[in-house]
Amino acid sequence: MRTVCTMLCALLAGTVSVAAHHSFAAEYDGEKPVTVTGVVARIDWMNPHIYFYVDVKGDKGGVTQWKFEGYPPNMLVRQGWKRDVTMKVGDTVKVFGWRARVNPTQAASRDVTFADGHKLNSGPPAGTGGQ
Amino acid sequence: MRRVTRPAASLALAVITVLAIAPVMAQTAKPALKPIPRTADGKPDLSGVWVGGGFALLFGDAEMEAIRKADAAAGRKPLPPAEPPPYKPEAEARRQQYLARRGIDDPMAQCLLSGVPRITVRPLPFEIIQQPHRVVILYEVHHAFRFIPTDGRPHPDDMEPSYLGDSIGRWEGDTLVVDVVGFNTNTWLAGVGTVHSEKLRVTERYTRDTFDTIIYEATMEDPEVFTKPWKQYATLRLRPGERIREYECIENNEDIQRFQKLLETEFKK
Repeated sequence: MRTVCTMLCALLAGTVSVAAHHSFAAEYDGEKPVTVTGVVARIDWMNPHIYFYVDVKGDKGGVTQWKFEGYPPNMLVRQGWKRDVTMKVGDTVKVFGWRARVNPTQAASRDVTFADGHKLNSGPPAGTGGQ
Repeated sequence: MRRVTRPAASLALAVITVLAIAPVMAQTAKPALKPIPRTADGKPDLSGVWVGGGFALLFGDAEMEAIRKADAAAGRKPLPPAEPPPYKPEAEARRQQYLARRGIDDPMAQCLLSGVPRITVRPLPFEIIQQPHRVVILYEVHHAFRFIPTDGRPHPDDMEPSYLGDSIGRWEGDTLVVDVVGFNTNTWLAGVGTVHSEKLRVTERYTRDTFDTIIYEATMEDPEVFTKPWKQYATLRLRPGERIREYECIENNEDIQRFQKLLETEFKK
């Protein structure tokens, strides 16, 4: 962990702080990670963030729909995402992220693991832009 | 004992010498650096698509790691250490209030145009087009643009306060120096709560130190809020093959409503 910090701190030394669109901390809690697996129900492939909705089955058979925020399309395509191809409605995905402070079923996504096992980043790390 | 002839001895010495220094040469040899391109008038040519911040966000962790390794191999020095803004007490109190509200008030979150220098480090590329009489910067974020005359003209006398201010440039040796004034107060300079007044003056220095990089230095002066000039740095990285795309921030900006709700509930006085 110290190595990571050393590298990041050196890299960030003197630099202007970076935020994609807004401070991560404004709406999300970096102390509350969450991972869910479910079926993609809807994708809003739009600026300034994409949103995608995942239906997650509960232990008692009910379904909870989670709303995930992600990078804007321009950032996703530069990391290998393709609209309507990489992730489609009906796909089973595992999503890792951090919970929203208010809405209990909303989160900032960091990465998505697809059915074939490959994983792509989908949003910024916790804390981005909060300085 | 068989006598060694002079040519044979010379050859043996040459072979021994080559064998002895070859490993050293292999360790010290570095690939030739690509020269910094120059325009017809001899100035460094800054033209190209660049990224000034958030490289890992934009292109992913693997590419950022490759850059770290390349920087280390090239012996690239880190940028000067960051300093907090040298605010007067009143401005620092405002910054602390914005930090306590977790940046919810950020003008950027409302899709308002970022100012200088913040726009330089937004994690989307920008293209510099260098012409003999001016430098043009086209930013993907906000579809923003700056025309920076380098023909010696002064700032216009009919400026209205604006997000990006008014820029004029000049060359100091191989460094493009840009003087920016005429700002409104709707932007943050370089992070949450970094407020300023209309008296802000930003001096940007663009120095292409390698083919792949520009050292960017921004000096912010504002007698209303600062006790002394504040400097920030960034490494701008050339992105060959990249193009500027469209980014329409307001398209589906749900944050405006959600952040307003937070302000009316969590942060209601």
